[in-house]
Amino acid sequence: MMQISNLLIQFLFIVAAAPFAAGLVRFIKARFQGRKGASPFLAYVSLATLFKKEMVFPKASSWVFRVVPFVVLASSLCFAFLVPTIFHSGNLIFTSDFLVVAGVLMFGSIFLVLGGLDSGSAFGGMGASREMTIAALLEPTMIMVFAAFGLLSHSFTIDGMMVSGLISANPFLILSIVALVLLALGENARYPVDNPATHLELTMVHEAMILEYSGPFLAMLEYASAIKLTVFSFLICNFIFPGTLLDPAVGISGIAAGIILGIIKVIAVMALLALLESVIVKMRFYRINEFVSISFFVAFFGMAAAVLAKSMDFISNYYTFFVALTILFTVLIFGNLRTRPVLRYYIFSSLSIAGIAASLGFSEIQDAAHLFFFAAVTILVKVFGVPFLIKGMLKKYDKTNQAKTFLRPASSYLLAAIILVVAFFVTIRIPLVGGIAWVSILFASIALILMGTMKMVIMRNICSQIIGLLVLENGLALFTLVTVKTLPVVVELGIFAVTLISVFVLSKLSTHIRELYGSTDTEELRNLID
Amino acid sequence: MVIASIIFLFGALLPQFLKSEKNIRLSSVWIAVLGGLAVFNLSFPVLFFAEPAWSDSWWMIDSFSALMASLIAFVYMASMFVSYRYIGYEYRENILNVSQVKTYFSLISLFALSMLAVVFFNNTILVWLALESTTLFSTFLVGLYKKRTSVEAAWKYIILCSTGITLGFAGVLLANYAGHLLGDESNFSSMTFLTDNAGSLDPNILRWAFVFIFVGFGTKIGLVPMHTWLPDAHSKAPSPISALFSGVLLNVALYVVIRFKHIVDGSLGQPDWTNRFFLIFGLMSIVLPALAMLIQNNYKRALAYSSIEHMGLISLAVALSPLGLVAAFIHMIGHTFTKSALFFGAGEFLLKWKTTKIEKVKGAMKYAPYSSALFLLGVLAIIAVPPSVLFASEFILFSRMFFAHWPLAVFVLVMLSLVAFAMLRLSLMLVFGSEDGKKMKVEKWNITHTVMAVELAFVFSAPFFLTSPAGLAFVESLVKTVSY
Repeated sequence: MMQISNLLIQFLFIVAAAPFAAGLVRFIKARFQGRKGASPFLAYVSLATLFKKEMVFPKASSWVFRVVPFVVLASSLCFAFLVPTIFHSGNLIFTSDFLVVAGVLMFGSIFLVLGGLDSGSAFGGMGASREMTIAALLEPTMIMVFAAFGLLSHSFTIDGMMVSGLISANPFLILSIVALVLLALGENARYPVDNPATHLELTMVHEAMILEYSGPFLAMLEYASAIKLTVFSFLICNFIFPGTLLDPAVGISGIAAGIILGIIKVIAVMALLALLESVIVKMRFYRINEFVSISFFVAFFGMAAAVLAKSMDFISNYYTFFVALTILFTVLIFGNLRTRPVLRYYIFSSLSIAGIAASLGFSEIQDAAHLFFFAAVTILVKVFGVPFLIKGMLKKYDKTNQAKTFLRPASSYLLAAIILVVAFFVTIRIPLVGGIAWVSILFASIALILMGTMKMVIMRNICSQIIGLLVLENGLALFTLVTVKTLPVVVELGIFAVTLISVFVLSKLSTHIRELYGSTDTEELRNLID
Repeated sequence: MVIASIIFLFGALLPQFLKSEKNIRLSSVWIAVLGGLAVFNLSFPVLFFAEPAWSDSWWMIDSFSALMASLIAFVYMASMFVSYRYIGYEYRENILNVSQVKTYFSLISLFALSMLAVVFFNNTILVWLALESTTLFSTFLVGLYKKRTSVEAAWKYIILCSTGITLGFAGVLLANYAGHLLGDESNFSSMTFLTDNAGSLDPNILRWAFVFIFVGFGTKIGLVPMHTWLPDAHSKAPSPISALFSGVLLNVALYVVIRFKHIVDGSLGQPDWTNRFFLIFGLMSIVLPALAMLIQNNYKRALAYSSIEHMGLISLAVALSPLGLVAAFIHMIGHTFTKSALFFGAGEFLLKWKTTKIEKVKGAMKYAPYSSALFLLGVLAIIAVPPSVLFASEFILFSRMFFAHWPLAVFVLVMLSLVAFAMLRLSLMLVFGSEDGKKMKVEKWNITHTVMAVELAFVFSAPFFLTSPAGLAFVESLVKTVSY
């Protein structure tokens, strides 16, 4: 009995908090854009106002048009009821089977599409066709994400997946979480798939379908989408922090704690969403397939890693995950020709190196302080210091950020693949393997050293040569980790200082070169040949 | 040690606070003299008065590092004296402005300090750091004149040397790793620890380490396939800087490689494996400059190629250790003095005729008689004409080489005579080039000539000391520090 009442409380909490959540995103976004913004509680008032208003129906519409708001709202409410948000479900665990949940969501969106079509207006039909395209493309991602969790937790229910607390033991599930976030953005018609704040005929998807609704029906549809957004935010939070789900059998104080946690989660997720929507732009409709395929591949890799981990008893640690990320970003650096993305990937790969050091710090007790220090200084120097210097250098010559190269991107990626294979054979043949505990890091360091050197050879641009040198240097940082681990702090700081100084010298020198040669192509540096 | 570094750092800071260009030059020279004397105070007791070598976890002085430090300090002081005239002259000619003069004198102090750090540090990673900072501090010295050619030279210099030294770091780390495996947590990265425990280090790891160190730091030595930065940087840098580069920087890099060779030899139990590297790369470094010099028409580049060739000779001598090491040390000393004198002389020609092309220097003997005479004398010394100290070292080298691999020795002799022919031809063309009737002021005896004369006097008198029993004992004590 207690359980049922607590589940009702959780349901009521979501229903009550949903308009606040929707208002909060708008409020925080306004603050990010330098506006004062309407109060987050305005959403309640506007819903109430809509309920009081009179309704207008298009002449061409049929009974379907009148049914749609009820079905959509019902599907959202059902979704809110099925997914564990504050408490895990206890006896009702069987209800949150992920196929059921996906079906309920799909049911709602099909009726929304029907409503858009039934209105008979051109916009409704356009929105409906777009919505169907996106929904159909996102479906595989959803299956992949939940299948990965299901495989590892032996459970088909979302509840069971969350309760097993997989994420701390299986780092690759971070990929599935990322895919889930992308999925949630698509499902809830947020950036970069749709813009919830505009009624521009060329871009709107969700808004186009509900364009003909007014009064209480419009209120119901908006309410339904707010509930959906709120539940998705809880879903993501609970997958990342399964410990925050409470047992349904707790007393009054437990309920209070659960509600406070819930409010914190809503505020945190909405703030992050607002931040995300302030820094990215909406994609063109024809680029949405890229977004969707990224989400599918991320989910697919999460699934593949899960299958590997399951079938081969493959031991995975957080540091192997970060090693994989480091190599991935370095390969992207290797093939990319434009300077700005390269710099961004450099930042990511340095972050992953810091991640390697930090995750080693969690597993190694004796050198932990030193490894954390290494991670912190790496972030300071290579995520902020070095990119800052290079950006300062780039600012002065914005026109020429397309690097000239001797190899096209496709062949560069092939070369990168060859380098990875070579590095693998070097790693297994090198006589060090017996002594080095973290072979994957050794592999990454050899791969990075080779790729950095190769990048300097195949690129003809000054900036790319600097980046190549930095990649080489990153490889050596990893090599330091696997070989000596502990260096005196002074020595370590000295190495980082030398990195910074050399980037400074290189960027200053390249400014001179650009002033004197008017280009950054190293093929032009051919005056001294005698 | 601390006093000396404070003096050098002070020398780097002071130019930034002075306004007049004359004061900057004057104060820098005095501080350089002070700094040089402080270094001599550290190194001479170990070098000449048989004070015992000492080391702690940071610093190390034995007679090898003391010798290198004395050479650095000497050439540093000499090039500061020359800079006093050289930079002042270019400032008056409006080639340089005050801020460039400030940069020059600040960086040259830091450059010298980091070279000294390389030879005095005991921690191998700090040695690497110091070697990397020699590149960083000297890049803007190479690119001091903001001209197309000099920034190009500076770019090649920093990219090649940084890459090389960064690869060398992999080797240093591997050597440290081998030390780490012995279980000593605190000082596994110190040079003395690795040397003392060389016998128990894992030879497989050290082999890999040596490959990285040799190729990486070999870039900085200027051994042949990795030498491409060297002629550019030497010919485009201001002449006192070229003298520092050629006279000491290359030797400093070689010092590090020889130290590591000693460790690796100890681990492998025999020196043959490492000797092979020195032999092959040394040979290549003799052949290529010998051919390149035949087609030179630029006297500073010719001197740069001659530096590569001499580094090749020293490597060849190291490859024939232990007796070869005697030749290597004598050659190192002789080359430092002779080549720096030659670059100072080349600087005088450059100031007067504003070109490094040989055919454009007209009537050198008439308008610059002292420079010409001293330059010719220097060239005679560098091609090892008998009383020169280089003759002594090459004599020892070849006596050993005929014994070990005689066909090679004949081949190297042929190459050396090619070099000698090319050097003589170029310098005679330079000094006795045709006149074009344009009147110039005849030069007066100046401070550069004094410095050159002192250096050449040393070069031609040193053999008499070095071949005496006391001199041989002195060289023997040097050899003992690094011979297997």
